[in-house]
Amino acid sequence: MLTENLKIIGVVVGTIGLFTLVANSIPQVQSEVPQDLSFGTDVTAAELTASGGLLFGSAGGCTACHGLGTRAPNLLTSNGSEGPIGARCGDRVTGESCKEYLYRAMIEPNVFLVEGYSPIMPDMRRSLSNDQIWALVAYLEAQGGEVTVTGADINQEGEGEAQTTMAAAPVPAGPTSDATDPLEILRANACLGCHVLSGEGAPIGPGFDGIGGRVSADYIRESILKPSVAAAEGYEAFAGLMPAIYANQLTAGQLENVVMFLAELR
Amino acid sequence: MATLAAATGKRKIKLNQNCGRSLFWPALAVFGIASQFASPDLLLAQSLEGVRQYGEFPLVGSRVAIWVAAQVHLLFAAFVLGVPMFAVVAEAVGIFGGDSKYDKLAKEFTRLLLVAYSATAIWGAILSFLLVTLYPGLWLYLTEIFQVSMWIYVCLFFFESFTLYLYYYGWDLWNTGRAKWVHWTLGILLNIWGTAVMFIANSWLTYMMSPPADVTPDTAPGMVQFWSAFANATWMPINIHRIIANVVFGGAIVGAYAAYRFLVARTDEERAHYDWMGYIGNLIAMGALIILPFAGYYLGREIYEFNQQMGITMMGGFMSWLWIIQAFLIGVLFLAGNYYLWVGMGRIPGAERFMPYTKYMLVVLVLGVMVWATPNTMIADREEIAAMGGTHHPFLGVLGVMSAKNTAVNLMILTTFLSFLLYRRANSRPTVDWARTGTIVQGALFVLASLIVVFYGVYGYFVPAIVRIGFSVYQVLAVLATIIGVITIDVFMLRGAESRGDIRWGQMPPRSQYALFILAVTFTWLMGLMGFARSGIRQHWHVWEVVRDTSEYAATPALGYAAIVISCCVLIFFTLVSFIFWLGGLAEKGTKASADSVAATSSTQGVS
Amino acid sequence: MSKHLRHPLGRAVLVLLGAYVLIEFGIAYLPPLFGIPSGPVPDTVLFQYLGTVVVGILIWVSDNETRWSEFKAPLHKVMVEPEKKRARLALAVIIPALVGLMTFNQVKPSMAAPATLRSIHPAPPGQIDFKGETMELAGLENPLRATGSMEEHYESGREIYVKNCMACHGDGLAGRGHYALGFNPGPASFQDVGTIAQLTESYVFWRVAKGGPGLPNEGAPWNSAMPSWEDFLTEEEIWSVIIFMYEQAGHEPRTWEEEGEH
Repeated sequence: MLTENLKIIGVVVGTIGLFTLVANSIPQVQSEVPQDLSFGTDVTAAELTASGGLLFGSAGGCTACHGLGTRAPNLLTSNGSEGPIGARCGDRVTGESCKEYLYRAMIEPNVFLVEGYSPIMPDMRRSLSNDQIWALVAYLEAQGGEVTVTGADINQEGEGEAQTTMAAAPVPAGPTSDATDPLEILRANACLGCHVLSGEGAPIGPGFDGIGGRVSADYIRESILKPSVAAAEGYEAFAGLMPAIYANQLTAGQLENVVMFLAELR
Repeated sequence: MATLAAATGKRKIKLNQNCGRSLFWPALAVFGIASQFASPDLLLAQSLEGVRQYGEFPLVGSRVAIWVAAQVHLLFAAFVLGVPMFAVVAEAVGIFGGDSKYDKLAKEFTRLLLVAYSATAIWGAILSFLLVTLYPGLWLYLTEIFQVSMWIYVCLFFFESFTLYLYYYGWDLWNTGRAKWVHWTLGILLNIWGTAVMFIANSWLTYMMSPPADVTPDTAPGMVQFWSAFANATWMPINIHRIIANVVFGGAIVGAYAAYRFLVARTDEERAHYDWMGYIGNLIAMGALIILPFAGYYLGREIYEFNQQMGITMMGGFMSWLWIIQAFLIGVLFLAGNYYLWVGMGRIPGAERFMPYTKYMLVVLVLGVMVWATPNTMIADREEIAAMGGTHHPFLGVLGVMSAKNTAVNLMILTTFLSFLLYRRANSRPTVDWARTGTIVQGALFVLASLIVVFYGVYGYFVPAIVRIGFSVYQVLAVLATIIGVITIDVFMLRGAESRGDIRWGQMPPRSQYALFILAVTFTWLMGLMGFARSGIRQHWHVWEVVRDTSEYAATPALGYAAIVISCCVLIFFTLVSFIFWLGGLAEKGTKASADSVAATSSTQGVS
Repeated sequence: MSKHLRHPLGRAVLVLLGAYVLIEFGIAYLPPLFGIPSGPVPDTVLFQYLGTVVVGILIWVSDNETRWSEFKAPLHKVMVEPEKKRARLALAVIIPALVGLMTFNQVKPSMAAPATLRSIHPAPPGQIDFKGETMELAGLENPLRATGSMEEHYESGREIYVKNCMACHGDGLAGRGHYALGFNPGPASFQDVGTIAQLTESYVFWRVAKGGPGLPNEGAPWNSAMPSWEDFLTEEEIWSVIIFMYEQAGHEPRTWEEEGEH
């Protein structure tokens, strides 16, 4: 009786064990949740905010100006007594809700300027996708306010002025433009947002005029690809401000064009 | 106007969050008032935002907790739904054939049913409580759509329970004449309630797989048309697939029960009875298994039709290896099932004349299993891949595609059916004068079916995929037609046949009984695996492309992990089932003298 | 000797050996004799086949009472009878040694990358982002088949193929281009019935446009040298090269299932 029972248990457990073993002996593939920033219409506020938070500190390059020094308003802390950006965004422009204002501030940054700041912010559509911009808007809204961005905002098409201009915006991943003229490349990638060239652009980073006389071409190339490796003299405080995104945004040809162009500015 | 509505909705959300959870219900009432102003998508956001979306289960996590609860509940439910079907048939055979042995068998089935029934209910309760506590957001969403059917479900469950009690406890009371017929009707009724209960539950889970096309993430759950959600694209295929699978599963578990009782039996009478019961269980399981692939094919096709991407994920994506494991399990089923039949021939006088042929059938089966389980993409290290010129073997790759597999599995089905036929024919000598012609016609049908299967299998390589898919239907139809044709001829041919001697029930080597255990375990494991497949193809969606899984368990686990969870479910199920059957055995001991001895004496008279 | 071969145990061993030889060498070397391409069988598949054969053999020896006792008799003898002590001792040494050897072989450090499971044709996404535009893959047809002359599409596709694809996929479309031997896994052969003949044109478009980097995880994107051609070719160029591939390989693209067809 006991022998039979043990044998039965042995057969049952052995069979189950065999199946488990076979299923575990093949290479294991897990179906990951897609991490790409393409939100369905059902996206939750939490998802948007989380993605936006990541963008804010990395590919968005926002911290380069917002949050440090006096270049741009600090978004995460109370700018004076107004509270963080989520609390004050709704009152910036009359008639524009918080998200409308923030979205517009991303795509047409210099239309409404906060008093005391220069028009130096680039159009974020140059470096971010529509979904990414909306994720950033959600993140900013969450700083002291309610997230009102929904999937419907992200996926709405052809509605309103902002969206129509959107369609013409360059693609986020990969090269931002297929220009070959170095000056155009510099403009397309918003380099002149921080570096002055012949009076054009904003003086945040070292100016481009005469740069070829100061540093070598290799140094320029490295600085574009890995901006944080070395900071120019006098700009040490701003090390890390320049986003390390240009390896993705420039084609190899464009990079070389720009490097050669700059190296020859003596 | 739209902005006004949006603004109204927004303020309500703020209100709710400020109130905190204690004020959730009043807040919900406010939503109700606000709902006439707010747009549907805001409404959904509101109704789901008020509750926390996910709970957390200690140690194993929410996913495994809900997984095990659902799977074990389903295993018990499948048993409880499958067994009444053949209990009623067995009772009918007893009534019409006048053989009280079948009546006793039906009653024994029902006793197993009775004890498994409460376990089903308990696990059902565990499942729903876990769903409410661990996935409140999804639960709320589903109740919004399905609330009415949930009430009906409870009512039907209530009816089912009482019908079952009446059916079992009234067995000896309503044993003769018209009362027996009333009793049998109760059995039918029991099946109707059970099937209705399953259909309702199926609608909930198939909605999660294939919500109607007009339901988008913005659709408020209250706005979903009930009937279109209920009778969604995969509902009927799942219903059919599950009905058949329940019969298979019920038969396999009954077979394992009989095998256990056989092995621990002390008397020859008991052994004879449980040998016979195991044979019946196995017959039911294998018989229903033969038609199961067709139902599975119908389901797969509906999934493809519903969403091509879902279909490809299922068959070719990260789940493609699951079908190799499934093929392995089905290979085990075929081999173990046939093995049981062949060993069983040892107790049939007259079966000796067929025994030399089993080895050829074995060769067909082994080759079939090899082809059936040949992976399309092979696991190989880099040198092997280089030598083969890719992960696609230049020669064996031909066997890895659907044409070859369909051909293999159809030939395996035919072979298994042939085993049954020989088994059936073994101890009888037909007396009708057309016996020889009949046998030749049967043989011709087998040959014809094999030729059709092989022809379409080979021809499938030379036509586009869209045409090839249709070929499997021809193969299947040829096999089905042969099965029906041959069994019809056989029934008439063996009418009034002479016996070559009584089947020596009980004279079965114990190793055959272990085959029954392997069958039961494999069926159970296979159900667990298919449950994972059905649920896993939704990937990171609760409701496919409508409600997204935003929990930390959104990723669909790899097969090895799934296998461990499935094994745990199967172990839990078998432990509980053994315990329950042991309890049933305790209760039986009191009435043993009357019940078993009658069954045993009648069964030793043998069948012819 | 022939007595041993007729014994169930002898036959079982013989069948097992025969199966091993047939699978390990037969599959690799027999078909080429008839002009059918073949290659060595990977260990995993060999193991799987032999496992099935072993189960089959066990079924055969045990499905009949007399054969089963005959089969067991010599084993039983070796285990208990005094005069077989040497054989018993030998087995007691050989079997643990074999197990040890197998274990050693499994755990010994090796330079080879572990066996990987790479899904050649993973599930495509429902839509892709092509140069800033969203393309719905489901139901997508090759637009060039509806416009212009097929000869022109074929010609331009041929030019694109020769300029871009031939170096790897070869002039015969058989995955045997100049650089093919430098890749592992090698470039896909479009002659193979298992590749483009199984796929819709939209699937091929996705593969060409997104290349290796665009593969989902189960397709092992790190293990493919295929570039993302969207960076180099226009949409029309990709469609025309697809037309060329099907025409040249002599395959028909897989078609979408008709709506509502049943």
